[in-house]
This record gives sequence, structure tokens and C-alpha cells, in this order.
Amino acid sequence: MSRQTSSVLPVIIVFAPWLALAGAAAWGRSRPRLAKAFYVGSTVLALGLILPLYGRALDGVVTKQHLVEVVTGISISFRIDTLGFYFAILLSFLWLLATIFSLGYIHERETRYYCFLALNLSFCLGVAFSANMFTLFIFYELMSLCTYPLIIHDETEQARRAGLKYLVYSISAGAVILAGVVLQFFYGGTLEFTGHATLTMADASKSVLLVIFSIYMLGFGVKACIMPLHGWVPDAHPAAPAPASALLSGVILKIGAFGIIRVLFDVFGIRQLRVLGVSLPMLYVASFTIIVGSLFAITQTDLKRRLAYSSVAQVSYIILGLFLLAPDGAMGGLLQVANHAFMKATLFLCSGIIIHETGKRDVRQLEGTGSKLPLTMMAFSVAALGMMGVPATAGFITKWELGVGCVQAHRPYFIAVLLISSLLNAVYFLPIIYAAYFKEGSAGERLRPETKPTMLVPVLITGAFVLILGIFVTVPGLPYSLVKVIVSAVF
Amino acid sequence: MSWALGVAADHPVLLVAVPLLFAALCPIWAMWKRSACFPWAMAGMSVTAFLAWSLIGDVSPRRALTYNLSGWRPPWGIQIRIDYVGLLMVCIITAVGLLIVLYSWRYVEHDLKPERVPYYYTLLLLIMTAMIGFSVTGDLFNMFVMMEIFSITSYALVAISGMKEAVRAAFKYLLMGATSSLTVLLAIAFLYSATGSLNMLDISLQLKSTSYVQVAAVALILFVVGFSVKAALFPVHVWLPDAHSIAPSPVSALLSALVIKMGIIGLFRVFFTVYGPGFAARSGTWNGVIDVVSWLAVASILVGAALAIIQRDFKVMIAYSSIVHIGYILLGLTVLSGNGTVGGLFDILAHAMGKGCFFMVAGIMIYKGNRRQIHELRGVGRTMPVTAWAFTIAALSIVGIPPTAGFMAKFYILWGCIQRGKYHFVVLALIGSLLTAVYCFRVVYYMFFTGARRPDARLDEGPVTMYAPAALLAAGTVFFGIFANLLIPSLTAAARLVLAR
Repeated sequence: MSRQTSSVLPVIIVFAPWLALAGAAAWGRSRPRLAKAFYVGSTVLALGLILPLYGRALDGVVTKQHLVEVVTGISISFRIDTLGFYFAILLSFLWLLATIFSLGYIHERETRYYCFLALNLSFCLGVAFSANMFTLFIFYELMSLCTYPLIIHDETEQARRAGLKYLVYSISAGAVILAGVVLQFFYGGTLEFTGHATLTMADASKSVLLVIFSIYMLGFGVKACIMPLHGWVPDAHPAAPAPASALLSGVILKIGAFGIIRVLFDVFGIRQLRVLGVSLPMLYVASFTIIVGSLFAITQTDLKRRLAYSSVAQVSYIILGLFLLAPDGAMGGLLQVANHAFMKATLFLCSGIIIHETGKRDVRQLEGTGSKLPLTMMAFSVAALGMMGVPATAGFITKWELGVGCVQAHRPYFIAVLLISSLLNAVYFLPIIYAAYFKEGSAGERLRPETKPTMLVPVLITGAFVLILGIFVTVPGLPYSLVKVIVSAVF
Repeated sequence: MSWALGVAADHPVLLVAVPLLFAALCPIWAMWKRSACFPWAMAGMSVTAFLAWSLIGDVSPRRALTYNLSGWRPPWGIQIRIDYVGLLMVCIITAVGLLIVLYSWRYVEHDLKPERVPYYYTLLLLIMTAMIGFSVTGDLFNMFVMMEIFSITSYALVAISGMKEAVRAAFKYLLMGATSSLTVLLAIAFLYSATGSLNMLDISLQLKSTSYVQVAAVALILFVVGFSVKAALFPVHVWLPDAHSIAPSPVSALLSALVIKMGIIGLFRVFFTVYGPGFAARSGTWNGVIDVVSWLAVASILVGAALAIIQRDFKVMIAYSSIVHIGYILLGLTVLSGNGTVGGLFDILAHAMGKGCFFMVAGIMIYKGNRRQIHELRGVGRTMPVTAWAFTIAALSIVGIPPTAGFMAKFYILWGCIQRGKYHFVVLALIGSLLTAVYCFRVVYYMFFTGARRPDARLDEGPVTMYAPAALLAAGTVFFGIFANLLIPSLTAAARLVLAR
């Protein structure tokens, strides 16, 4: 992390999605098709601007841009480091696919939907490119608020209730994080992310550090749905339209995890966390979430609700990996960010197609979907196998790395958590696949066309990525190369 | 232009004299032509605002402008003394005041009987005069006089529609306001008997050596009681919800954004200019009073927010919300750390903009379609997007979500609390902001996310002179949230001086 450059590029990237708002304002009502071109175009633009930064990110070059000093010592500024780039490229790619999927899926209140989708992308990129905790907090709060219109998009009673629950959880979380930011600034004197610990034992006593740490975990834990802070997740995901749930689960939950990663790497630092002794409690919390989340998933009959609980469990893999405080554990955790994003996005988008084409949401009524929607169910099955951790899928890589990490951290018994989780994943995913292909009455006509191409293509791409990430792991350009840079800089 | 800039610096008294002159001449214009009153009031406010803003470079935390009326030097004569906090208040008053006058134009035409319109603008100019005078005076008795002027004009403004409920609310306001004025007068008399002076700086010198410490302590308590009523601090806030909700909306905006801040400035002057932390060494009353006020401030936050949540009437809800923010401001000022004071002062600005915008939006809702209940705001987001978005942005500031001025204020207030180790206040203040989020976002929810979609729905914003001021105030909250550094360094310096006295 030696080289630094300065450039306005981060600012441009963060605000590129706002182009969609301009499109909506100009043609949202009069020429909806042109406006849609803007919605997709702004996402493509963001992705196109981020892609060329790959080389720099791989070299560990940090790009900084100072925007405005709000008060002395606290500024709104951007910084692209490898971690930020990793998240940014991932989320803008998924955003593009979800936006394309939405073209086929969303039929009502389009202007509002796409505008908030674009705003959300902008704020998520803002979080990823934040140079300090203050900027991160600002974008995090804005992102939280802008997710609300996506959740209640359908404006049904169920959606409203889910939205309210979501708001209560996330605004409370925002207040908690704010308390953490103020405390960190008061004791540490800086909020900057520098790639190493900025709040150390020299600044405050151990108990104060523990309090600040817990406050941050409590705040970011709501988005990262660590149990028992996960309450909003199983309601919000089924209520939101499928592409929004895919992003919610694939990206926005990870932004919560991103906050935790920043707290780990840039506020406290790995070495200091070992001294603080927070590793084991956090591992227990994560393991509890993984197992109990999976158990809850088994009991759900609504397809999207089951997937939501599965997300609760899977995001805690990230937490588990990070708090092993071992290089391979962190590798596993960070790889899980991308792996789970692609797997869960596939599953949610597939469920969207199933609901859109057959109208069925109940997991007990899915017989015959295999023959009706062969390509969709193929993608679904691949992603589901990935969730179970079957070799040659992305999920296997996560579990492998996490397993190695457990041994490396001298806590091999946590491998049991991984195994139990795989088993539970099988319990709630295999019946769906079984029903789709083999259950009686499953013979049916294939729908022709299966679904709109704008919906099918994104699903096939994410589904393919589940395999690519599982087979061509070390190919440059895929997450592994980036994650390796991140981890080697920290450990 | 340069001579004009110099005029205000040489004669700070013009800040008070000019709007007073405009107010006095307003009825004469009305005799000629009733519709001339609005441009006259606009002209008066513009000149005053120009005078006030031209002082920005001349006053710094360490340098105040003074002017002795009739050349009598203090402590004998009345002294105008524009210090940094005073100038900040004057700038807020003139800026928000100008927007309120502009907003009043169409609203008053619609809401008041034509023969009352001249009264309205006269009273508006008069109340601005009194608030400016209150903020810049260096003399306690002069301060009392100014307080009486803005109090009495505000009773009249609340009652100006002549409706029965308005008169009743104004009377309630008058009862509590007059009592509090008397309390302040009594306090001034006590202090005069103890020190023999009415000049604030002179009194603060005398208090360091006076032998009448008990008398001064009693005066302090009386001051706090009196100004708390003006500021609508819990539990003497009961007049506020009625008066603020029944008054015409521009008046509500004025009362909420500016007039209750006068109570706060009164408390600020008493706590820090007249008595000062140095008085704590002489009498335990100072610390005791400060502690009581900070607890009452926290109670205001929680009680105000809880009461705001259960309201159905839009304006009553906003009125209760003012009590919440009075709590935040006073919490910041009484936590006695530099950052807390900065946060409190900054929140005066943030709340003036946010709450001014709230009441203006409420006024637009009444102007277009007489919507008074929160549930009647369904679908407003589609028909009045500018108004609804102005409200939403102001709500972000009122709740304290970045990047808005309200957030910066909250940040500093919490920071101040942490500096002094008062973690319980941090927790309670954050709970308060959660409750604030509940009642603010409920309105946003009704505006944007309910109501059937009608294809025939058209844009129906109302007059531009009404929604533009609201939108400007909302934009202001974002501007000062991002460029808070324009003010914070000077405020920090001012706070440091104030706390060192």
C-alpha cells in the first residue's frame, strides 16, 4: 500500500448512476423506452468506469480524492483501494444484471423504481469508495433510506409492514453506528481508513475499545443480519420485487459486512483484535447464525422467505471467516462476498421468474417447474448446489478456504459448523430440486418462450458465474486474485 | 456599495432602526394602497438583511461591534453589542425572515380578511425588529423591552385570523408569556439591586465581587424560569402546540424557526454572558441550574417526540417537533463542553431552516385543498413533487441524517456529551432521534407511498412564491450539512471564549 494517486475518478464513478435520474426527469413520462436506456446506460457507465481500475487495484495502488472538509479533521473524501474496488466491481456488475432483469419484471411505478435503484447503486459505490468512517456513514445512511422504496415497491399491506420493520431496524442501526463514529473520533482522533489500525490501545483503555467495537458490530450487524439482529430480512426479501431482493441479498447485506470489514482492517486492525479477545465470541455468534438461520430456512414454505433465511445464514460465513483472524479464513470470508452474491442473486432471480411465469411461491407446489422452465431451473439447481458446497461450484471454494482458515487459526472444531450448514442447506434445497424434476406430476409442457430474454439472460450469466468461480478460481480478474492482494496487505 | 457596507459597521443601531422605521410607515402605505404593504415589507426586510449580512466580515468571535445609544457610555447608557452569536442570530433572522415575508404574500391573501393584511405586515416587521434588537443588545433592560415587543406582537400574530380557536390559543400564550415576562423583569430587578447595573458585561464583572450572591442566585433561577417559557422547554411548553398550530402558517414558521430561539438566546446570554461559568465558583446554583436545564432538555426531547408521534394533525405534530429540537439545542448548550456548545448553536441554524420549511409545507397543504390531517397527505408526492421533496429533505435534517445541517448539529452535541462523559445523554438523545424519525418519516410515507395512482393526476404545486422559499430552506440544510466548515471553526472559537469566562 505504498503508492497513492489522486484523481477525481471516484467522484465521477459514484455520481455516474445519477444520470438515470436525469433520464427519468426528461423522458420518464413521455418516452419511457428512452428513459429505460438511461437506466441501463448509467449502470453500464459506472461499470465501465470501474473496470479500467483493475490493474491499479491489483497493484495495491490507492486512489484518493478529497471532496470537502466538513469540519476540521472530518471530511467527505473518496479512496479506491483493493477492497473498495472489489466491492464496487462486484456490486456494479450485479446491478447491471438486476437492472436488465427488471426491464422484464417491473411493470408498475417504473420511474420511482429505477430512480431509487440508481440512487442505491450510487450510494453503495459511495460506501465502497469511502476514505473514512464519516463518509462511509453518510453513504450508508442514504443507502439505507433509499432501499425502502424498493422494498415496498408493490405497496401491498405485507410490503408496507415489511418496509416499516426495515425502517425501524435500519434507522436504529444508523443511530448506533453514529454513536460509534462519534466515540471513535473522540478517542482515536481520526476517522480515516489507512489500511492499518487507527484506534489503538494507546488511545483508549481496553474496555472503551471493546465498547466501541460492540457498538459497531451492533450497528453494522443489522445490515449484515447477524442474529438476533436479522428480524427485517425474512420480511423484506419476500416483499420486494425479485431483482430488488437479489440486490438486497446479493449486495446490500454485504455492504453491512463491508462496514464490519472496515472496522476490522482499518479501525482496530487484526493484531489488536487478537489482543482484545473478540474473536471467539464473534465466532460463536456467527456459528449460531449459520446454524439457526439454516434451521429457520427449513421451516419456511414461501420460496423467497426460505431464500431470505438462507441469506441470513450465508452472510455469517463472511463474519465467521473474518473473525478467524487467520489469512485463509479472511480469504474465505472475502471470497464468500462474491460467491454468495452470485449464488443468491441467481436464486432470487430464478424465483422471480418462477413467480412471474407460474404464479407459485410455495415450495410445495413447484412440481413440474423443471420441465416448464428448464433453463431457469438449471440455473437454480446449479446455484442451490453451490449453496450446499458441492465441488466445482463457488460455494465449495468458500468452504474450502474457511476450513483451511479454521485449522490455521487452531480452531478446527468450527469446521463442524461448515459441515452441519452444508447438510442443512441440502435439506432445504434438495426438496425443491426434487419437486421440480422428479416428483409426480412433474411432466409438463415447456413454456415457449420460457420467459422474456431480458430476464433469462441475467439468470444464465449469474448461474454461469457460480460455476466459473468454482472452477477457474485463480484466473486473473476473478475475485481470488483481488482477495489475495487484500489479505496479503492486512496480514 | 462600499459606503453602504461601512454604514452598518459604523452604526450597528441601524439593524434595529431600519426595520422599525419600515414597520412604523407600513400602516401609512396601507392607507394609500393595501396591496403596497407586501412590497414595502419585502423592501424593509431586504434592506435589513443587507445591513446584517454586510457585517459578516466585521465581527469575529474575538471582535464585537459596539454602539452606544446617544453617546452614553456603558454602564450608564444602552449599548448595542453585536458579538459573533448575536450576528449569527441576526443573519438567521433576516434570511429566514425574508423568505417568510415572501411566503406570506399569497398565503395571507388567501387566509386573512383584506383589512387585516396591513396589520399583518406591520406586526411582521415589528417582530423582526424586536428579535434583532433582542439578539444584539448589550443591556438587560433593553433586552426585556425587546422581549416584550416580540412577545406581544406574537400574541397578536397568533390571533390575527380572528377565529375563536385562534383567539383562545393566543390568550393561553399570552397568559404564560406575560407571566414569564414578569419573571424575567423580576430577575432583572433583583440583579439590579445586587449589582446596580444593567449592562450585561458590567454585571458579569460586578458578580465576580458582589456580596449579594444569594440575590444573584435567585435572579438566575427566575431568569431560567422566564426564558424557559419563551423557549417552550418541557414542562412549560404547553402553550406552544396550540399557538403554533392555529396561527397562520407563515406565522407558525416564524414562531417556530425564530421566536422560540429567542428564549434560547436569552438563556445563553444569562448563562454565559451575564453569569458565566466563573459564577459557579461563587454559588452552587449555577451548576445546579445548568444540570436541571440539561435534564429538562432531555425530557423535552423524549416527551416532545412521544407526543408528536401520537398526533394526527400535521401542524400540531410539527409544533411538538419544535419542543424536541429545543431540547437538543439546550442539551448542547448546557453540556458545557466546547463541542456541545457548537452543536447547540449550529442546531439553532439547522432547526430554523428545517422547521421553517416544515411549516411552509404545511401551509402549502392548507392553501391547496385544505389538507390538515396527516392522512390527507396521500399522494402529495406525485402532485406536488417539489413541496414533498422539500419536506423530505428538511425531515432528514430534523431527524439528523447526513449530509444535512441537522446531522452535523447532532454529531457535535453527541460529541460534546461524550467529552463530558455523559453517556446517558448520548443514549437518550439517540433514542429521541429515533422517535423523531418515526413521526417525520410517517409523513414522508403518506406523501410518497400511499394513495391510489390516478392517471389523470397533474402537477399542482401552488404558487412559486410559496414552494420556492420552502425548497430554498431545504437546500440550505444540505448546503450547511456539507459546508459546515464555513461556520464550525468560528463557532468553536466562540464557544471556547464563552466557556472560559
